[in-house]
Order: sequence, then structure tokens, then C-alpha cells
Amino acid sequence: MDLYSLTWIIPFLPLVGLLLAAALGKKAPEGGGYFVVGSIAVTCLISLVIAYQYLTTGNGVPVDASITWIDLGGGKTLDMGYYIDGLSAVMLIVVSILCTLIVIYSIGYMHEEGERKRRYYVEIALFVTGMLGLVVASNYLMMFIFWEIMGLCSYLLIGFWYYKPSAAKAAKKAFLVTRVGDVLFMIGIIGLFGAFGTLNFRELFDPANIATVDPGLFTFSLFCLFGGAIGKSAQFPLHDWLPDAMEGPTTVSALIHAATMVKAGVYLVARSMPMMVHAPDVLIFVAIIGGFTAIFAATQALNNPNIKRVLAYSTISQLGYMFLALGCGGYIIATAGTNEQLLEMGNTGYMAGIFHLMNHAFFKALLFLGAGAVIHAVHTEDMRRMGGLSKKLKITSLVMLIGCLSISGIPPFSGFWSKDLVLESAINAANVNPWFWLLYIAGTATAFLTAFYMFRLWFMTFRGPEGEAAKHAHEAPAVMWVPLAILATAATIGGIFLMFPGSGLPGVISTVSPEGHIIAGETLGWGWLEKFFTAWPTYLSLAMALLGIALAYAIYYKRSIKVDNVASGGLKGVYDLLLNRYYFPQMYDTFGTKVIYGTALATDWFDRKVIDGVVNGIAFVSVRSGQVLRRTQTGMVQTYATVVVAALTVILIMMYLLGGL
Amino acid sequence: MIPQEYFLTLSAILFVIGALGVLTRRNAIVVLMSIELMLNAANINFVTFAAYNHDLNGQVFALFSIAIAAAEVAVGLAILLNLQKQSDTINLADLKLLRW
Repeated sequence: MDLYSLTWIIPFLPLVGLLLAAALGKKAPEGGGYFVVGSIAVTCLISLVIAYQYLTTGNGVPVDASITWIDLGGGKTLDMGYYIDGLSAVMLIVVSILCTLIVIYSIGYMHEEGERKRRYYVEIALFVTGMLGLVVASNYLMMFIFWEIMGLCSYLLIGFWYYKPSAAKAAKKAFLVTRVGDVLFMIGIIGLFGAFGTLNFRELFDPANIATVDPGLFTFSLFCLFGGAIGKSAQFPLHDWLPDAMEGPTTVSALIHAATMVKAGVYLVARSMPMMVHAPDVLIFVAIIGGFTAIFAATQALNNPNIKRVLAYSTISQLGYMFLALGCGGYIIATAGTNEQLLEMGNTGYMAGIFHLMNHAFFKALLFLGAGAVIHAVHTEDMRRMGGLSKKLKITSLVMLIGCLSISGIPPFSGFWSKDLVLESAINAANVNPWFWLLYIAGTATAFLTAFYMFRLWFMTFRGPEGEAAKHAHEAPAVMWVPLAILATAATIGGIFLMFPGSGLPGVISTVSPEGHIIAGETLGWGWLEKFFTAWPTYLSLAMALLGIALAYAIYYKRSIKVDNVASGGLKGVYDLLLNRYYFPQMYDTFGTKVIYGTALATDWFDRKVIDGVVNGIAFVSVRSGQVLRRTQTGMVQTYATVVVAALTVILIMMYLLGGL
Repeated sequence: MIPQEYFLTLSAILFVIGALGVLTRRNAIVVLMSIELMLNAANINFVTFAAYNHDLNGQVFALFSIAIAAAEVAVGLAILLNLQKQSDTINLADLKLLRW
């Protein structure tokens, strides 16, 4: 048990790497990158040991410990501590492995950056601290602090090439747009503190405490928490920063904007699930936002020519899947009452969200790093200038193919299992509330779109005639393709986590019913295979995926359907709408210039005219009255004496008349 | 016996004359003299009440008062002398440096 007391080291070890890289980075090889790689590798080891300890000996009961950080008096404290349960154990494994692999890959990818490498490694180390701290935090305040650290690092790293105006602009945009969500998150935290008087998960998740608080404030706070998740996980309508965030180095896109930070919003909702099951309205909202964002973002990936932006939209879309699963699963639990079967279904939905998070983290990191290897080779991100790269980048094209198959949901690759569980949870929720059928349809349509745009990407990049930028392409060094190979393995066999004989992921990821019982997961083992392949939705989504691949094959490989006909024919309007990202950047700009700037002007006017006016008015009155009154000070002794005598006389007369004398 | 009110009326008249002198005259020496008038008005009151109440304390106080008045005049005249040396005037209307 004592092993858990090492947990606090996890977020702090990368800080050691940070300090070493910052202090010695100028002299050390690779800008101190090896210090950061070393510290993160050790962190990874500790994380894995702790997660292993919990997953093998824990019994579903969270392990936590806190010390008082600030005593607010009246029995209210703000604490620091760690909180380990199945969710954070799985997150620890995923996050620490991915961080390690991507930082190792960075050594190769950032090799040509020269002086700036030190800054890169320092910022990456700080980011890893933020992410791991978020995962092990024991209360919402700690979570918020690490959440903000990640936001800062995201800003710094998107703007890594700050001398490029587009990168500086994208960094600003990411910072400001996620800030909207962060403010909501903060309001939610304040609301929870107002309702409960504490921010510790242990107390907040206790149904006995939840029963005593004001339900209005409680629901409002949870809505605000989800608002934070919308910002961080780039869900509609705060999604538009993520495609622009691709201005940063590809490793940053892979680590922060695909595998870890954008998952923080999903993690926040999953973490808050014991509270959210008491507020079904919030969960419906989560599911709707998730389902809508999934299809909304997928459509924008269809015709984007930039390889990284396609992946970014795909990330937004897949994050929508996760929210859809969490919302559906939570909604089933919230409305299940004591029906054991429904509770179990809901828990499976919840688990599906986490499972998809985990699989997506691996295959999307794989796709991004693969894209990074391609960009490294051809020095462009425009897919129209690539093509025919599979001859020169054999390994990369193979691992990218695995990633594409996985995200498209082709068995036996990992994405298939989790995507089908997500859709299954939508069907289960639809059986409770028929409106969820719409979300199921959106999810299935997204499966088709996903397969199409991912294979469009693959065919455009690796097949067809050799593009102009592909002439001098060469395979990436081993330090880059070895992490790719590891990730490709994970993306291939990820489904095994579901079907571990006896337990697997369903055995460790579980949530609680509104009454506070831990719901046992559906640990079917190999029985999952039977469950999957005897249900019609599996075949439907598989057919959708194959259709999408076939269409991409026809258009971008066989060229039997001409893209130009679509782009200039009857669908030109739609094509341009998608290419212009539904005009969301313009909407943001308009909102910024009209509404925000207008508000700023009004506030400025109020400040200068009203606030300053009052202050200046008081000063003016004082000065003028002083100017008038100072005339009474003549400097003549006799005037003063006259006043004294006159006043004394008046007083005496008054006293005489009023009977004082 | 002369009624007490006669003395008190005399004293009041003397006091008012002194006070008006202090307030209106511009020559500092005249102001000083007016102050002496007011002191003497007080002295008359002292001796009046002492005589009519058969209490010698009043007489003693009058003597004290005269002695102190003498000292005060000495100090006052010394100040005026310095004033004359400093600013070449003892006209109070011209001595108004402490003003706006």
C-alpha cells in the first residue's frame, strides 16, 4: 500500500527534467532533451508501477490522501493530494507511455531546430507535469491549476515558431478560446465550493452529501464544469482553435492536441460522473454536444488539403464520440433507478468513452507522428503536393495505414471495438429516450465520414503519382520510427484490453450508481466477440466504414470520380462551405470585433465618463469650494478677533434668551 | 451707599470701549492700550464684588491683575518694537502675511 505515497512524485519528476534542461540546455546535446526524456521515462516507470499496483490489488475503491494547503477557517480547507481509481490508473498508463514515446520521437523531429530546442524541451516537460498532475489530483482546485498549466504550455508550444504570424495568431486564438471554457470551469468550481464547502472528490462524490445541496446550484455548477470541458476538448462551439493549433510542431500536435491535453475535458467529465448521474439534464447536453460535434467536425475534414488539419478535425470528431459515450452511459445510469441490467449498460457506455479515449490516444498519436515523419521528409503539409510516398517511406506508410484502419473501425484494430461500444451505448440510451436515435444516426454517419477522409488522406499521401514535393523524400531515423512502431502495435492489438480473460478494462473502469454503489462492469472476456458479431449495429457501422474506404479508393486512387467536378459542380456551395470551416473563423472574428470590441468600447466609455467623471467631479467641487472659502482667511488679526467676539456675543444672547443663564 | 449696579455698568461700558478699540483701531499701540482698558474693566468688577461681598480675595486678585498687566505691556511693547524694526510699520492693516 505504501507505494501510493510515491504518487506525488509523478507530476514533480518532469519538473526536475525541466530545471536541468533549462540550466544546462545551452551546453548539453539536443538542448537538454535527454534530461527531459530521462525524467519522463522515470516518471512513466513510477506511473506504471502505481497503476499496476492499483489495478491488481485495488478493489474499485479509490485510494486518496490529502494535506491541507490553505485553511479558510470554519472547517473549510483547500487541500492538496492524490486520488487514484481505475480511471486515473488507466489515464496514468496511457498518458505516461505516450509522453515518453513522443518525447523520444522529438529528439529526432526537433533535431534541426538549434538554439530553440531548449525552450521546446522545457515547455514539453512543464506540459507533462500539468497533464500527470491533472490525472492524479484529488480535488477540483488542483485539477484546475494543472489544467491551466497545460493551457499555458499549449499556448507557448503552438506559438513555438512565433516569428510566423500565423503561428502567433493561432497561439493567441487557442489561448483565448479555451479561456472561455476555463472561466466556466472556474465558475463551476466556485459553485461547487459554495454548495458543498469542499472541493475534494471524496466528499463531492458521496451521494449523502449530494442529497443535501441545493439542486439548482448543483446542476448549474456541473453545466459550467462541462463548459470547461467544451473549451479544452474543442467541442462545438469552441472547436475552432484546434485546427489552427496545428501551426505548432507536429510532436506538439500529437502530444497536446491529440493524445493528452484535449482529452483533459473528457477526463473531467468522466471524473465528475459520480456527480453527473444526479443531473440527467447535464448528461443529455453532454451527449448532444458530443454527437453533434462528431459529425460536424468530420464533415470539415472531408476536403481539407492540409494533412495535419484533417487529423485535427478528426480529433475533434473522435472527442465528440467520447462525450457521446459518456453522456449516453451516464444518462442510462441516471435514469436506471435500481434496474441492475440498465446500470450495467450505462457503465458499459461510460467504459466505452474511456476505452475510446485510450485507443484514440494511441492511434491518433500514431497518425500525427506518422504525418510528422511525412512532413519531415517532404517539408510541406499540403497533401496535394505529396503522393506516391509509399515507395520511399515504407515504414511510415505501413504504420499510417494501421492508424487509418484503426480509426475507421475495421476489425481487429483497436478503434473498431471502442467505436462500436460507443454506438452501442447510444442505442441503449435510445431505448430509454427515443431522441437518442438521432445521436446514434449522427454517430453512424460519422463512422462513414471518418473512413472516407482518413483513406482520402492515406491515398493522397502515399499512393498515386509521385508529387512534386516527394522527389527527395527519405525515411525518418530510428529514433522516430521506433516509437511509431510501438504505437502501431498498440493501435493493432488495443482491443485486447477489452477482452482480457477475466477482467480487462471493464473490470477496472467502473462508475457508481446514484445510490453510491460501485457498478460491476461487464467482464465478458472473449464473450465480447460473440456480443459484437451477433448484433446488427456492428455490421451497419462496418458497412459504413467499408463504404467510406471504397469511396475514397474510387475518388483518390482510381480517380474514377473527379474531385474537380464535385468542387465546381452542383455541390460547389457545400464544398466551399466545408473548406471555409462553416465560416467559423469569420464568426469568431465578427463576434470578437463587434460584440467584444463593442462591449470594450462601452466599458471604456463608462470608465472614462462615469467612473472618472465622478472622481473628477469630487475633485472639482473640492477645489472650487476651497477657492471660495479661502477668502475668509484674510490674515488680519482683527478680523479673526471680530468673528470671535461676534460669535461669543451671539452665543451669550442665545443662552440668555433660551434660559441657559 | 452707591448701588452695585453703577460700578458694574461703568465696568461694562469700559469693557465695550476697550473691545471696540481692539477690533477697530489699526495702530498696534492703541490696540495695546485698549486691552489695558478691558483689563481695568475686569479690575473694577473684582474690587466691586470684593467690597460688596466683604471678601478680600477680590482685592488681592485686582492687585495681581495690575501687576500682570504691567508685565504684559512690557512684553507687548517689546514685540511692537521688534515689529517696527522688522517691517517698518505697526499698522495692523498692513500686517497680513498669513493669509491666502
